Amino acid sequence: MDDGGYKPGASKSQAKIVAELRGVSKRFGEVLAADDLNLAIGEGEFLSFLGPSGCGKTTALRMLAGFETPTSGEVLLDGKVVNDLEPHRRPVNMVFQHYALFPHLTVERNIGYGLKQQRPKLPAAEIERKVREALEIVRLEGFENRRVWEMSGGQQQRVALARAIVNEPKLLLLDEPMAALDRKLRKEMQIELQNIQRRLGITFVLVTHDQEEALSMSDRICIMRDGRIVQTGTPRELYDRPRNRYVAGFVGTSNFFDGKATNVNGTRAEVTLPNGMRLAGQAVSEIVPGRDASLSVRPEQIRLERAASAKDGNLEVTVLNRIFLGEHTEYLVENQSLGEFMVLTPRQAELSDGPFNAGDVLYASWDADSALVLDRD
Amino acid sequence: MTQRGRNLVLLAPAGAWFLVMLVVPLTVVLIFSFGERGAAGGYVPAFTLDQYANLPARWTAFKNTLILAPVGTLAALLIAYPLAYFLAVRADPKWKTLLLVLVIVPFWTSILIRSYAWIFILGGRGIPALLDWIGIGGVRLINTPFSVLVGIAYGYLPLMVFPIFVNLDRLDKRLLEASSDLGAPPWRTFLQVTLPMSLPGVATGCLLVFILLMGEFLIPALLGGGKVFFVGNALVDLFLQSRNWAFGSAVAATLVAIMLVTVTAYMRLIRRLGAQREDVSLM
Amino acid sequence: MTKNNDTISKRKFMEELYRYKRGSVTRRHFLGVTGLGTATAVLAGAMPALRPRRAFAQGDIGDRVVLATWPNYHDPANFDAFTEATGAHVQVNVFGSNEEMLAKLQAGGSGWDVFVPTNYTITTYVGEDLIEALDSSLMPNYDPAAYDPRFSDAGSVDGTLYAVPKNWGTTGYAVNTNHLDGREMTTWKDFWDITMDAYSGRTMVHDYQLTTIGNALKYFGYSFNSVDPNELAEAEKLLLDAKPHLFAISSDYQPPMLNGDAWLTMCWTGDGKQLNTDMPEIAYVLGKEGGEIWSDYYAVPKGAPHRDAAYALINFLLAPEVNAKEVLAHGYPSADANTNALLPEELLNDPILYPAQELLDALEFGAAATLTDPNRAELLARFKSA
Repeated sequence: MDDGGYKPGASKSQAKIVAELRGVSKRFGEVLAADDLNLAIGEGEFLSFLGPSGCGKTTALRMLAGFETPTSGEVLLDGKVVNDLEPHRRPVNMVFQHYALFPHLTVERNIGYGLKQQRPKLPAAEIERKVREALEIVRLEGFENRRVWEMSGGQQQRVALARAIVNEPKLLLLDEPMAALDRKLRKEMQIELQNIQRRLGITFVLVTHDQEEALSMSDRICIMRDGRIVQTGTPRELYDRPRNRYVAGFVGTSNFFDGKATNVNGTRAEVTLPNGMRLAGQAVSEIVPGRDASLSVRPEQIRLERAASAKDGNLEVTVLNRIFLGEHTEYLVENQSLGEFMVLTPRQAELSDGPFNAGDVLYASWDADSALVLDRD
Repeated sequence: MTQRGRNLVLLAPAGAWFLVMLVVPLTVVLIFSFGERGAAGGYVPAFTLDQYANLPARWTAFKNTLILAPVGTLAALLIAYPLAYFLAVRADPKWKTLLLVLVIVPFWTSILIRSYAWIFILGGRGIPALLDWIGIGGVRLINTPFSVLVGIAYGYLPLMVFPIFVNLDRLDKRLLEASSDLGAPPWRTFLQVTLPMSLPGVATGCLLVFILLMGEFLIPALLGGGKVFFVGNALVDLFLQSRNWAFGSAVAATLVAIMLVTVTAYMRLIRRLGAQREDVSLM
Repeated sequence: MTKNNDTISKRKFMEELYRYKRGSVTRRHFLGVTGLGTATAVLAGAMPALRPRRAFAQGDIGDRVVLATWPNYHDPANFDAFTEATGAHVQVNVFGSNEEMLAKLQAGGSGWDVFVPTNYTITTYVGEDLIEALDSSLMPNYDPAAYDPRFSDAGSVDGTLYAVPKNWGTTGYAVNTNHLDGREMTTWKDFWDITMDAYSGRTMVHDYQLTTIGNALKYFGYSFNSVDPNELAEAEKLLLDAKPHLFAISSDYQPPMLNGDAWLTMCWTGDGKQLNTDMPEIAYVLGKEGGEIWSDYYAVPKGAPHRDAAYALINFLLAPEVNAKEVLAHGYPSADANTNALLPEELLNDPILYPAQELLDALEFGAAATLTDPNRAELLARFKSA
């Protein structure tokens, strides 16, 4: 298990920890929705919970917001245990999945809602000023008196965001905020969210099942599965040094060749396939010999050549299919021992040797260092 | 057949219904109200405004009704809202349907029998006897304005509970979480979100109860001891006792007119209050 | 299934209904107050499935006879016997007031075969041409000579027989003597005085202009039937003065009298008898100044759909042995000497049913003019809305 400790990146050294989960579990009847979660969130960080639906990411978020109380363990905000602190007393705001905007209030009053709850009361002029600022930030100037149900999905999303950030929360929680937007709008919104986060310096915690979204926006990603945190790290860490096959599969795409771990020797190991074939690779996490393991090779790290190069590890493959992607071409190839796998070839590489056509017999190879031996689970 | 012809055919049943159930009876009442009472009662055709000129004779009945209807509506609302709120928001979803049925079941029996139950509960051997037993003597509940309000609040409970329940039941619970998340304690969430969002249901319930209360006569007669006289009672007496159909029709027509005016004003008001909202589904 | 199933279930139902009503619903006006009488009648007429049916007819009078009468005013067993004998079912519609009956007949299409009007309404029915002249040859059990003419006279108008006597009774008051502290109640003056004094908040008056206004008129010694504006004005003042002291204006007075909420109420003979039986401390008093005496009649409305059955039913109910059972069931006296000969001695000596002659002498029959007087109707409306 991951210790979840926050390892400050270069740009955010010595960041203060604003929120922490310590051994937090949540049980709903028979279901263990969150299982021994440990995580520290640093100030100003953009952290994502990534995983399929039902993996416990939303439960984790709701425990931070205060809508759920942990069955065991501690939730800390600013160093204080807040397990039993009601949501309205937490310096935390949330952007809900379907925005949950108040239909009976105007845009202005939706955004000012949180400010109006503050005690002692804020002067009306100050509320107005802050609301106007928030509207500027989300680029909705002039929409003050609109009804929320008159607005498009993207605009509603901005209102929801403004309604949360206007309170300058310690922690901004976003529950699948872009799930209801179309693809193009989602891209725009992702960039905008990142900009806003940098500008305001508020700590963002995002829940998503969309790996692209998580990879493109987050400082760190917390990969979850079956209520547990599988690995926490920067996108690059997760991409380069996945803890196991599950993480590698979730972050980017990869070819997996399944077998048993053998010849473990420090950072080197081999995977022995059922047919006896042995494939070497790097061991980036602890590998136990004899356990189920997979060799992971990213498609872009495989070379295709018409003639076998002098080096070892050339595999004779047949091209089954070709998909032209512009800068890259994706080939589906088949090897007698390894079966089918994907190869992504840069356009440059094809200038000399390609393009290859379906039915061509080629030689595939990769550097042993770029292949990873991963625990199956 | 032309489009127009088809439309007419399709509209015919609704039109016929409207005519038979609404236009014809109202027209008859209107015609009668310009007539005269026969020597042995009933109606004699005539065209006179005498019946309308005589309306001040029932001024007290109108006045009492115009007090009873809003006050009774308010009483029904005060009892029904917490109940609807409990059923829709607090009750375990497993039991919700059962509880809802339990609210309705008593209303399968006649209002007469249910009023008799209240006559007993509020009468000398009911609550006053209990109060006497714990040392509070001399309390009179039956045949007072209080007992009439109890009867009305109880009698009209489902009519008020249901629209409010439906409204609260379909209220998006995430709005309540959002409010709480934004720093509002539960009671302020209630005042700022739940209550305003349930206003369409409240408005519908109030309208239904108000309209029916304008014609109410049974509950005041049974639980009020017949000492307070409403337009409904005046109509019963005029049609069934003194058989002055002409005057009765004038009173009825006036009551309908007053109702139309009040209800129109009320709906204008509600519409203006709710003009900004998506969910104004009053009518 | 036997052919009697229908009969038995119907009888059972009627018994249940009567049991429920006894002690909670009085003879008249209550149904008038609630409007339920009309509703029941309209409903029964509108839904043929609700009508009792018989597999085959035993007589040639048809399978049905419709009776419009008062609540608690018959022995259901007699109806069963009638059905047994003739094959015609008795469909009973109960009413709350004479006015309601009149309104129903005026509106037309009542569907009634027999109805039970009170003495003072008969001339109105005749005047409005709503009532059949009766053929006494079709009612062999009717023995005019056996009747006290006081209670049968109103059945004939200008020498034509329109109605035959059913029962008679008085309108007095019932008083719970436990709270009298030795006072004696003998007059209507006593009634109104104690209402505004020791019995304040405990008195009930009828929701009925004839008796409530009539008994207020008696306070001043005026005629029960007075339509004199000055006399009515005095009665109105008395009523308005008394109103704040009233427990209720309602003709449903048995329940509050029985549970102790009310101590004093205007009351009809049969209710007085029932209240006295249930609580001996409740006495039935006839005001010495007078008050109302009344007599109910059987009559046949114009256009009765089952005319033969109507005569058969009236004839059956007038048979002394049947009539005696009726009296035992409802507690209202009969004016028929043949019937009274079959009744137990103690009933005939009961001062509630058969008051002393000097008390009876002071009583007046209600008059048709009283019933239809618009001023009295308006007076009651002012009293109730005050």
